[in-house]
Amino acid sequence: MLKKYKRDFDQIQELVADTERFFSDQDIDESLRMKVDLSLEELFVNMVNYNTETDQDILIEMRPIKGGLEVSLTDFDVERFDPTLAGDVDVDAPLSDRTPGGLGLYLVLKMADSIHYEYYDRKSRITFTNRIAAGETRQDV
Amino acid sequence: MFEIDYNNSGEIVVRGRLDAAQAATAQEFLDAVDGRCVVDMTDLEYISSAGLGVLLRTHKRLMSGEFGLEFINVNKHINDIFRYSGFDKLFVIKTA
Repeated sequence: MLKKYKRDFDQIQELVADTERFFSDQDIDESLRMKVDLSLEELFVNMVNYNTETDQDILIEMRPIKGGLEVSLTDFDVERFDPTLAGDVDVDAPLSDRTPGGLGLYLVLKMADSIHYEYYDRKSRITFTNRIAAGETRQDV
Repeated sequence: MFEIDYNNSGEIVVRGRLDAAQAATAQEFLDAVDGRCVVDMTDLEYISSAGLGVLLRTHKRLMSGEFGLEFINVNKHINDIFRYSGFDKLFVIKTA
């Protein structure tokens, strides 16, 4: 799948529907859906929120790989921002020290099996993979 | 699709997907609640960091009084997200 999405949170619903269709068409294990949905949303929202100097669409690619899928998001005409270097979150902090925000990229780094960032020609491209764990039984739905 | 409302027992019921596009709807509803709040998550399918932010913001406001949010009927996926986020140390959570 290769598709461009407007820089708008309203695109999330379409992104979810496209992901569901891709999983079905490519017969990808449904147990990966939530992790993929979460990483896709967090990275998409991050691009929309922080790469504000452009109005170009965000390109999303999904490819099947052995045991799962690889997903890439490309943002155009933007400054470098490497989400893999996002600061850690103190999830053990007491309520008084916790503030809303900052969890998105932390969760992506927890959910993805691998994550890779590239920056070239003012393009910011992040690729993540999710695979069913070795020995895990396939979930037929 | 996301819905939030009260049930007949006075609990807050959330249904569907609480994502960045729906966070404002959830926040608007929760900004109006007060006192002890039980949130039934039986039909909550998905939550992202935007939804977690809404819950945390509301919990902090309520805890400045006497009570906070309490979650019941939390499914495995949502509970995993709560644990990764450290919410299991901040909220009363009862799994399905």
